[in-house]
Amino acid sequence: MISFFQNVIDAVALGSIYALVALGIGLIFGILRLINFAHGDMITVGCYALIVPSTDAAAQLLIGSWTPLAAIAAIAIIVLLVALSTDALVFKHLRRASPTTLMIASFAVSYVTQNALLMAYGARAKGVDFWSGVNVQIAIGELRVPLLQLITVAVTFALMMLLNLFLRYTRYGIQMRAAAEDFRMAQYIGVRGNIVIGLAFAISGMLAATVSLLYVTQSGSLSITMGVPLVLFAFVAVVIGGMGNLLGSVVGGFLIGILLTMLQAYLPPDLRAFRDAFAFAFVILVLLVRPAGLIPARNTIERV
Amino acid sequence: MSALLDIQELHVHYSDLAAIRGVSLHVDEGEVVCLVGPNGAGKSTMLAAVAGGVKPTSGSIRFDGGSLRSVRPEQIARLGVSLVPEGRQIFGTLTVEENLRIGGYISSDRKAAASDFDRLLVTFPRLKERLAYPAGRLSGGEQQMLAVARAVMTQPRLLLVDEPSLGLAPLIIEQIYKTLLELRAERGLTLFINEQSSARVLKYADRIYILRGGQIQLEGRASDLRDGDAIRKAYFGFSAGSQRAAENVA
Repeated sequence: MISFFQNVIDAVALGSIYALVALGIGLIFGILRLINFAHGDMITVGCYALIVPSTDAAAQLLIGSWTPLAAIAAIAIIVLLVALSTDALVFKHLRRASPTTLMIASFAVSYVTQNALLMAYGARAKGVDFWSGVNVQIAIGELRVPLLQLITVAVTFALMMLLNLFLRYTRYGIQMRAAAEDFRMAQYIGVRGNIVIGLAFAISGMLAATVSLLYVTQSGSLSITMGVPLVLFAFVAVVIGGMGNLLGSVVGGFLIGILLTMLQAYLPPDLRAFRDAFAFAFVILVLLVRPAGLIPARNTIERV
Repeated sequence: MSALLDIQELHVHYSDLAAIRGVSLHVDEGEVVCLVGPNGAGKSTMLAAVAGGVKPTSGSIRFDGGSLRSVRPEQIARLGVSLVPEGRQIFGTLTVEENLRIGGYISSDRKAAASDFDRLLVTFPRLKERLAYPAGRLSGGEQQMLAVARAVMTQPRLLLVDEPSLGLAPLIIEQIYKTLLELRAERGLTLFINEQSSARVLKYADRIYILRGGQIQLEGRASDLRDGDAIRKAYFGFSAGSQRAAENVA
């Protein structure tokens, strides 16, 4: 029983990470109809920004050695700026393009970002000792819970609450929701398209920065392609949650995290190597039953 | 006197297809002008071109003397032109109140927007009862009212209304036109309205234009066009033997 609860905590913590990544993808998709595969690379940028640029195998902390508050602020600003520049340099010029074109452009942005990192930091994966102080375990009764997992879950819920308050009660939040539902109509009513798009990239950049910090603290390693599996599973989370619906993205993220953790824990050892295949089989099942996702976006339902 | 809205030799293409072919028209301050024509005549394209949603191929669109060509839609809204689009396009997942407030965000004067909001609810009592509702749950007539009220929240001088009667019961259509005229009297609004039915338009409009095939077929004061034959001819392109079809439209 104890090990089950242990697994539940693991699952929720992993689900939190996927939920944060899925939110970043879902926000941009809502406004621009862009499936941004480069979002994972924004996370990678946030991780690499912590260390000194060099091709050495051993990573030396740069921003990562600052006080936590300064490091968090610096990483958030760096990732936000990189995310905004992907829009300014690439996506801004494709506003009238089809969603397929946009998605392919995001692959291009992803490869360019990875190769830029490759030039600055080298191809080898690096170990990094970042905030290892939070990798302690706290005993709650018989449970032993890693402090970092508690922080991950707490930060995720805090950010989701903040985002929800922002979208519901501020004028920019309401404008973002309107633009997500009907971008052209929002412009007709005076909503400035570029501000709303900029906000979407800025918020998703900050979500990516958060994931960077949580992820690298946990894994203690860096690689150029570290963002790719994250964005892949988060994209799956967005699809099973329901494209264009932020609540769906969050639910999908948690579902994927829980699914992966439980499969890892309870599949027969011989089959564990095929965990991802089982996860995707489940995803296919979900989509067979509910093609529009678990919580379909209301603006995709036909209105009478 | 120069017109509030002045369109000269306007051409609009959708890739190869010419939707508007050399339209010139004008709307004076305080007027109610209707653009009448069958489906596919190019009426919606005309309004979208004025509101900035469609880029003209050539020609000029001037509002209050300034050109609207290559101005963004959100900027055109700030200049005082507001569109009530065909099919209403209300934000269904937002509440009625949010739909209305969003129109007021255009103004930097928050107090003025708030008092305008209160004033508008007097004109639209049905909306006042439903402020907290998701707008998608309103009836068709209420949604049309909301679309009008939302557009008025931007405090426009020129209101563009695209087929306000589409899919609504006659009684409700009547009510919507009454409200539009009320808004004009109250706020000095100028109205430029698209309609398919010429009979209704003759009752409310000062002047009408008949558009077919992307070209103006007929222009005149509503009071001079009471006899329907000229209208029928312009609307259908022929007159004799078309009585039954014409009656269906009227």
